[in-house]
Amino acid sequence: MRLGTMLTRTFIAATALMAVAAIDAPARAQAPTTAPNPTADSVNEDLLFKQDPKIHGRISIPDQKAANLIQPQGREWRGFHEGWMPWIGAAAILGMIAALALFFFTRGRIKLEHSEESGKKILRFNGFERFTHWMTATCFVILALSGLNYIFGKRLLMPLIGPEAFATLAQWAKYSHVYLAWPFMLGIVFMLAVWLKDNIPNRIDWQWIKAGGGFIGKGHPHAERFNAGQKVVFWMVTGFGAAMGITGLMMLFPFYATDINGMQIMQGLHSLIGVVFIAAILAHIYIGSLGMEGAYDAMGSGEVDLAWARSHHDLWVEKEQAKTASGPQLRPHQAPAE
Amino acid sequence: MKAFAVAVICAVALGIAASYVLATSQKFAWQAFSTTSARVSQPGTNLVGPRWTGDVKGPHDEVAGDPQPGKRS
Amino acid sequence: MARMKFLCDADRCIECNACVTACKNEHEVPWGINRRRVVTLNDGKPGERSVSMACMHCTDAPCASVCPVNCFYTTADAVVLHSKDLCIGCGYCFYACPFGAPQYPRVGNFGSRGKMDKCTYCSGGPEPDLSTIEYEKYGSNRLAEGKLPLCAEMCSTKALLAGDGEMIAQIYKERVIKRGYGSGAWGWKTAYRETVAI
Repeated sequence: MRLGTMLTRTFIAATALMAVAAIDAPARAQAPTTAPNPTADSVNEDLLFKQDPKIHGRISIPDQKAANLIQPQGREWRGFHEGWMPWIGAAAILGMIAALALFFFTRGRIKLEHSEESGKKILRFNGFERFTHWMTATCFVILALSGLNYIFGKRLLMPLIGPEAFATLAQWAKYSHVYLAWPFMLGIVFMLAVWLKDNIPNRIDWQWIKAGGGFIGKGHPHAERFNAGQKVVFWMVTGFGAAMGITGLMMLFPFYATDINGMQIMQGLHSLIGVVFIAAILAHIYIGSLGMEGAYDAMGSGEVDLAWARSHHDLWVEKEQAKTASGPQLRPHQAPAE
Repeated sequence: MKAFAVAVICAVALGIAASYVLATSQKFAWQAFSTTSARVSQPGTNLVGPRWTGDVKGPHDEVAGDPQPGKRS
Repeated sequence: MARMKFLCDADRCIECNACVTACKNEHEVPWGINRRRVVTLNDGKPGERSVSMACMHCTDAPCASVCPVNCFYTTADAVVLHSKDLCIGCGYCFYACPFGAPQYPRVGNFGSRGKMDKCTYCSGGPEPDLSTIEYEKYGSNRLAEGKLPLCAEMCSTKALLAGDGEMIAQIYKERVIKRGYGSGAWGWKTAYRETVAI
């Protein structure tokens, strides 16, 4: 009898337990049968790359930039820098040299046309203007050479002088590149200050361009202090100078304004603008020295032959002479009045 | 010619001046990434310690500034 | 010769940072320079994983390609090393590297960022093996002593594997088959243009 009661009690208890288990069942039905699969909800490289071009996480060291696990964009930058850039650079610079050589051998040097005013001098650039020009120019030459060294040094110079000598040279080229950038940027600011007022484009420039600037046809179209070509050089120098300054500063101060992808783009822009800038300045150097007789004096001594000035910048000469006739005589060391 | 000479001298002088001015804002990794709890001193000469220059002697290879003294509070 | 690689099994990595500490101590790496680091992905969320990352010693390494002074070289073990005597601290390798491996003693790029430092796969630099000058510039040379990189050797969960690429891939494959899951060989596609097929 007692055994019967016990059996009944046990049966009831077992039924109750089973019922509880049955209610709980859907929540953990799979648990005992299959192994857990943590990969099912774990992060995955392919999935993360689909969400974002780089894989970013959390890091426990103070350098938070290290939290980027994988950023494959560097491979594209490398492809540009090593694949395209040497060819673009070579094409721009050698192409410009070839074009200038072709121009020199076909058109020849643009001669000074003699008139009764030959021998008389007129002040074209005062001391400060020449100082600004030459400070920017010398910095530019060093910056251009040390900049090209980044692209072509290991290809052209390193096989000639050996890796050790080249590394020493490249180190000093880097120092000069980053430190002479500052007087260069200052020079650009000075140029804007002293020449901006003479470089506003106007209708006379359009006439000058239509007449071919005197390069193609005969005779000289009218021009004020700067003709349209010189205005183009001015705006090119200040515009490219500013662009080089901004992109350069982004690289001088890593992570202040951009992340690593930003710096890759900045480096690409800096190098592309750089080689175009160098090619354009080659043309500027040519026309200011070898290409045109009498032009160099403007930046050399600051005084140009009146006959040259009359033919190339007739409106400016008229203005200057009118000023001289009515006002005080200009002395060589005095800045021309506005 | 005088303007040219002055310009070259000025460019070099400004470049050198820029190097000194910039050196004051240059930070070593051990300075930049030290925290209030991790007060790091000059890490010495091993690996990339600031005094290590290799064969190339450039400007400012010496330590730009003393490590910031740790604040105890 | 072997083709040395790193493989981090993210399903085993517990973010203990012992690899980071081992590396720091073995080579006396100064503060602020991180040859190896552990990055936690999806932190605090389901499916969180940690990955230990250093220089992956890429095939056709981007750093070596962009270096303007060609200071990088690849050893017979396919380890990417560089010469600190040639390095000018320009930062190009840092722009090119997909793993953020290059480290510099200085933060600003004016003048020089200093001689770049990165993981050497515990195999020193161009100086004679196990010389003092090599140790001072690049840290210890365990490979020359017949040992593998310390980070992987002392990994407590054996999440970080170092050694010949085919062998560590085989070990990882066997693990994945046995336990039934695996989140892949992190960074292999980017570094070697291949992955561990499971």
